[in-house]
Amino acid sequence: MGNFWKQGEPQVWATAATLSITLLMIATLIGVVMVNGLGFFWPSDTALVSLKDGSKLLGEITDTEKQTATHGARLQLKIGNRDLYGQDFRWIDKGDVASITYPDDAIVLERKEHGNFYGFLKSLSLNIPQSASAATPWQQMLAARENVIQAQRNLGDLRDKMSKLNAAAESLRLKILKLSFDNAPANRDTIQRLSQQREQSLAEFNLLLDDLNTKNGELNRNTATFQDVSGEEKEIALTDIVHAYRPNTMGVFAKAAFYAGKIKELLLEEPRESNTEGGLFPAIFGTVMMVLLMSIFSLPFGVIAAIYLREYAKEGMLVRLVRIAVNNLAGVPSIVYGVFGLGFFVYGIGSGIDQLFYPERLPTPTFGTGGILWASLTLALLTVPVVIVSTEEGLASVPKGLRQGSLSLGATKFQTLMKIVLPMATPGIMTGLILAMARAAGEVAPLMLVGVVKLAPSLPIDGQFPFFHMDRKFMHLGFHIYDVGFQSPNVEAAKPMVFVTTLLLLAIVIVASSSAIHLRNRMKKKYSTKAF
Amino acid sequence: MAFRNKSNSPHDTNKFLARAKKSDRLAAWLINIGGLLVVVSVIGILLLILKVAIPLFLSPEATHLSTVSIKGSTVATRTLAIGTDENLKTGFSIDDQGKVTLFDSRTGAVSDTISLAAPGGTTPGIAAVTPAPDRHYDILWKDGSFSAIKITFDADGGQQAAEAPPAKVETLLAEQKGGAASVPLMSLARFSEENSPSRLDFLPGNRFLFSKKTTTTDLMGNDTTTQIRTPFAADIQGNITALALDSKAEFLYAGTDTGRLLRWNLSDAEAPQLLDSVLTNSKGSAVTALNLVFGDVSIAVSNADGSFSTWFPASETGLGSSKTLTRIHPLAGHGSAITAILPSPRNKTLYSLDKNGTINVDHMTSERHLLSLQTEKPLVLFAVAPRDNGLIALDADNRITMWQISNPHPEISFKTLFAPVWYENYDKPEFVWQSSSANDDFEPKLSLTPLIFGTLKGTLYAMLFAVPLALLGAIYTSQFMGPRIKNFVKPAIEIMAAIPSVVIGFLAGLWLAPLMDKGIVSVFVSVLIIPLFVFISILLWKKFQNKPLLKGISVGYEFLLLIPALLLGIYASHALGGMLETTLFAGDFKLWLFDSFGSRYDQRNSIIIAFALGLAVIPLIFTMADDALANVPKNLSAASLAIGASRWQTAWRIVLPSALPGIFSAVMIGFGRAIGETMIVLMATGNTPILNWSIFNGFRSLSANIAVEIPEAPVFGSLYRVLFLSAVLLFIFTFIINTVAEILRQNFRKKYGRF
Repeated sequence: MGNFWKQGEPQVWATAATLSITLLMIATLIGVVMVNGLGFFWPSDTALVSLKDGSKLLGEITDTEKQTATHGARLQLKIGNRDLYGQDFRWIDKGDVASITYPDDAIVLERKEHGNFYGFLKSLSLNIPQSASAATPWQQMLAARENVIQAQRNLGDLRDKMSKLNAAAESLRLKILKLSFDNAPANRDTIQRLSQQREQSLAEFNLLLDDLNTKNGELNRNTATFQDVSGEEKEIALTDIVHAYRPNTMGVFAKAAFYAGKIKELLLEEPRESNTEGGLFPAIFGTVMMVLLMSIFSLPFGVIAAIYLREYAKEGMLVRLVRIAVNNLAGVPSIVYGVFGLGFFVYGIGSGIDQLFYPERLPTPTFGTGGILWASLTLALLTVPVVIVSTEEGLASVPKGLRQGSLSLGATKFQTLMKIVLPMATPGIMTGLILAMARAAGEVAPLMLVGVVKLAPSLPIDGQFPFFHMDRKFMHLGFHIYDVGFQSPNVEAAKPMVFVTTLLLLAIVIVASSSAIHLRNRMKKKYSTKAF
Repeated sequence: MAFRNKSNSPHDTNKFLARAKKSDRLAAWLINIGGLLVVVSVIGILLLILKVAIPLFLSPEATHLSTVSIKGSTVATRTLAIGTDENLKTGFSIDDQGKVTLFDSRTGAVSDTISLAAPGGTTPGIAAVTPAPDRHYDILWKDGSFSAIKITFDADGGQQAAEAPPAKVETLLAEQKGGAASVPLMSLARFSEENSPSRLDFLPGNRFLFSKKTTTTDLMGNDTTTQIRTPFAADIQGNITALALDSKAEFLYAGTDTGRLLRWNLSDAEAPQLLDSVLTNSKGSAVTALNLVFGDVSIAVSNADGSFSTWFPASETGLGSSKTLTRIHPLAGHGSAITAILPSPRNKTLYSLDKNGTINVDHMTSERHLLSLQTEKPLVLFAVAPRDNGLIALDADNRITMWQISNPHPEISFKTLFAPVWYENYDKPEFVWQSSSANDDFEPKLSLTPLIFGTLKGTLYAMLFAVPLALLGAIYTSQFMGPRIKNFVKPAIEIMAAIPSVVIGFLAGLWLAPLMDKGIVSVFVSVLIIPLFVFISILLWKKFQNKPLLKGISVGYEFLLLIPALLLGIYASHALGGMLETTLFAGDFKLWLFDSFGSRYDQRNSIIIAFALGLAVIPLIFTMADDALANVPKNLSAASLAIGASRWQTAWRIVLPSALPGIFSAVMIGFGRAIGETMIVLMATGNTPILNWSIFNGFRSLSANIAVEIPEAPVFGSLYRVLFLSAVLLFIFTFIINTVAEILRQNFRKKYGRF
C-alpha cells in the first residue's frame, strides 16, 4: 500500500483528472453549441396545451425545468404571436396542464416581422387567380403564396433599374460636389448640366418607385386571415409570410427537407428583424472578404520576416530582438491593435486620404472612418506572428543538405530560396496562412473599433464602379454573435440565432485549424530525420 | 526560367550571372528590411498610441495675441470691466462714466461706443460693476440705482468675423433706489427662472437685502407681480470682504476679514438660513476673493496670505449626517493676496489674479497649476473669453493684453488617473470611473485604478483556475499518456486554442451565467465532491488493478477511466447542491448571501469569468508547457527510469525541474493573454467599474472598457486620449510579460539546443 503512494500513482491519477476536466469542458462547450445550434431549424411539433382553468395555449415546447422548491416541473412554451401577446415565451406549471394535443391543422408561420405566428387558417382574400388544383384552403393559401412571391420576384427588374438610377444620381451628386469644391464659378455650366441630369434620374427613380409601390400594394392585398388559439383573428399579407407549415403533419423526411431549406436560407439570405432571424449572408461575405484581404497583407510580410529569421539573419542580438518583437506582436492584446488601427489607420492615414483626395465630401468621411480596408490591415498586423512562426517551422523542416546541394551547384542564395527551400516549405506557409485566417475570422474586439457594423447597407463588392469598395463598413460573424446576443432588445428570442451563428463560426474555425494542424503534422513527419 | 534562355556565349553567361547576383543582393536587402520591419512595427505601435495619449499631460499653451492701448480713451475715466467676443476679435471695456467702448483687439482702434444710462435716465457714474457668467454685468450706480446688463455680439458662434462685430447691450433688470434704504455696497442679480429675477444687495454693516420679484400670468392674461423683500444680517465679528452668489440665487457665500466663510440658503426667499460658518485657515487670514466654480457646487476661496482652495459641503461621517463646508482641493497659492477669481465657463478651471498683477490658471479637480501669466506692468483686471479659449487683461498702464489659451485636458493628471480624487458631491476621495452622464455640467471622472484593479482581479481568478488544470494536464499528456491517444488529445487542445473568444464569451454570458445562477451552491459543492470522487476512484483502482481483466489496461489511459467518475461527481454535486440550498440557505442562496454579508450576487460575476477566461488560456498554457516538457532530453528521463525511479518520481523530480523555465514562460504568456482578453470580459461580466474582490460581483477591465467607451468618445477629447493611455498601459504590461517570457524561453532552448 505504502509503495503505491510513494511511487506516486495517485499523483499521476490526479494529473489525469485535470486533463479529463479540461477535455470535458471542451466537449461541453462544443456539445452545447452543437445541440442548440443544430436543433434550431428542426420544425418541432406544435402543441395545443389545455390548462386546468380552461384556457388554451398553442406553441412549441422549448424547455422543461424541474423546480426544487415545489418538486414540480414547468414547461417553457414558445407561443410566438409577438404582435398579439407582446412576449414570445410562457412558462407553465406542469400541474396546471389538463392535456397536451398536437392538432394537425395547427399552422406555423414565419413572418417578415413580429416573429412566428401559431394558429389556424380561417379564410383567404385574394386578388390573383386561384389555382384550380388546390382543394383545401390550406393548399390554396400555399399556392397563392407561391404566386405572390413569384410576382414579387418579377418586380426585381424594376428594383434593379431603380438601384442603377440611384447609383447614377449618387455619383452625379459626388461629381457636382467635387466640381463646386474645385472651382464653382468656372464649372457653373457643367454643374448645371449635371444637376439637371441628376434631377432627371431622380425623377425617373421616383416614377419607378411609385410604380413599384402600387404593384407591391396590390400584391400586399392578398391576405389570409388566421386565428390564434383563443380565437383572436389576425389578417396577414401573403407577402409577409416567409414560411408556412404544419409541423404536426410533417414526416421525418418533410422535416429534413424543411431543415435543409432553412440551412440554405441561413447561408444565402439577408438577415431580418434586426439580425435575429433570416440569413447570415452579409456577415459570412464580410468575414470572408476581410479575411482574404487580410491575407494579402499579412502573408508576404510574415513569410519575408520568417525567411529573414531562418535563412538570412546571423544569430546574435538582432535576431533575439526580432524574436522578442515577434512574440510581442503575438502577445499584445488584440484590443490594443484595434486602438492602434483607429488612431493610425482610421484617423491618421484615412483622414489624410480624405483631405487629399476627397476634400469636397468633408466633413462626411470617406476613408476617415472604419472600413474593411482598415479592418484588414489591423488584423494583418495581428496575424503576422502566426504566419512567421509557422513559416519558420516550415523552413526549419527543409533538410540542410538540400540547401547545401543547391549552393554548391552554383545557385545564389536567393535562387536556392525560391526554387528549393520555399517550395518545400509551402506546407508550413499554408499552415500559417490557415491559422492566421482562423484567428482573423474569430477576432472581434479590434474590429469593433475599425469598421465592423451591426447592419451594413451594402456589401463591400457590388456591381457599381469601382466594384470593390474598400471604404465600406462590413458585417462579421463574430461581431454578429456579440451584437445579437448582447445588444438586441429581445435576447431570449435572439438566442437560437446566436447559437446558429456560433456554430457556424466554430465550425469554420475548427475545420480551418484542424486542417492546418493536420498539414503541419504531416510536414513534420515527412522531413523529420528519425534520430534519437 | 533564366536557365531556359541560356546561350553558350560567355558574354550572355556573364550577363546572366550578373543578373542573378544582382537579384540575390536585392532580395537579401529586401528580406533584411522585412525582418527589421517586425521590430519597427512593434515600436511603431507603441509610439503611435503613445503619441495620442501624451497630450494629456502637456501644459496648456497661452499664445500672446496683442497688447494695445485703447485709442481715444481719456485718462480721466477708470475702467471697471472688460471682456471679449467669442472669436477674440473685439474687446470691450466699461468705464466709470457708464460708457462701453468696443475696440479691435489687434490694433486697439475703437469701433463703437455705447453709453449706458441709469434707470432714472441720468448718468450719475458707476459705483461698482460685478461680472457674472455669460457677459452679464451687475452695475451699481452712484445714486443707488441698479441695472443688470448683458453684452451680446452678433458674430458669436459664426465664422464671419472679418470685421469687428457690432455688439448690443441688453438690459435685463433696471431698478431705481428704493425708499429710505442705504446705498448698497454691492448688488447682484440672478435670472435663473423666467420672469422672476432675484436681487441681493450688500449693505454697510454686514447687512443684506434679498428681493425676489415673481410675475404670474392668470387665465385672463393679466400679469400680477409680487415682490418679496427680505432684509437679513450676518451676525458675525469682523467685516464681510467677499461675496459670491450662485446662478440660481440659492446659495450665498461670504468671506470675512477674520478668515471666516459663511453660507446661506436663500431658496426660501422669505427666510434666508445661515448654513455654515467655518474658518478658512487657522491664522485668521482674511478672505480676499470668492467665486463659484463652474457647476455651482464648489466655491473657490482665497486668503490674504495668497493661499487658494476650493470648498464644498460634505459630510464627514457618511450618509445621513448634515453636510458642512469642507476644504476639498488646495490649489497652488500666489505670492500675494488674490484680488479676483474667475471660473471657466466650460470646466472646473479657475483663473485668479493677485495683487502683484499675475494671473494663475489652475484646475480644481486635478489640482494642477496650469499656467502663470504676467505682463511688464502688473495686471489689475481680467476676464475669461466666453468659449474659455482666451483671456483679456488690463494692466496698470491702461493697456489691454489678450492671450489665446489652448487648454484641452486640464482635468487629467497622474493623480486623477491613479489616486483617489475628491469629486464634487462625494463625501470622501474615491476612485471613480464614470465617463459620461446625462447632464451638461457633469464632470467626467476618469480614474484608471478601478479598471486596472478589475483587469488584475479577472486575470488572477482565471489563472487560479487555469494554471493547475493546464500544467497538470500538460504533465500528464507529455509524461504519462499513451502515445497513440496523445496524437488525438494534443491536436484537440491545440484546436481549442483557436476557438474564438467571442464564442466562449457568449456561452459564458448567456448559457453558463443563467445556469450557475440557479446552481451556484452546486458549484461550491463540486469543488469538494469532484476531488472526492477522483480519490474514491483511485482507491477503487488500487483495489482492483491487479484483477486479471483490468491488469495493465489503464497505463496511459487513466484520464479516460476517470471521465465516468467526473460525470458522476458533477451529477452528485448538482443533486447535493439543490438539497443544501434548501436546508442551509432556506432555498435561496443569493438572499442568504445578501442578508448575512450584505453582498450582492451578480449573475455575471467573477466565477463565470474564472471559468471562461480560464478556458481561453488553458490551451495556450497547456501547449507551451507540453512543448517545454517534451523538449527535456529523453536521456534524462530514461536514466531516471533505468535506476528504478517510478514514472511519477521521474516526471516530478527530473523532468519538471528541467522544464521549469519553459513552464514559467508558458504561465506568463497565459497571464499576458488573460490581461488583454476583451470579448470574454465584455460579455461575461456586468462591466461595472467597482473595487472589490468579491467573487460574486463583476468588474470592468481595461480592455473591455476600451471596447465599451471608444465608440462614444469624441476624437482627441480627454476620454479618447485616456482610452489610448489605457491601451499603452496594456501594451506595456504585456510587453514586459512577453519579453521576460521570451528571454526565459530562449535561454531554455539554448540550454537543450532544440527548437
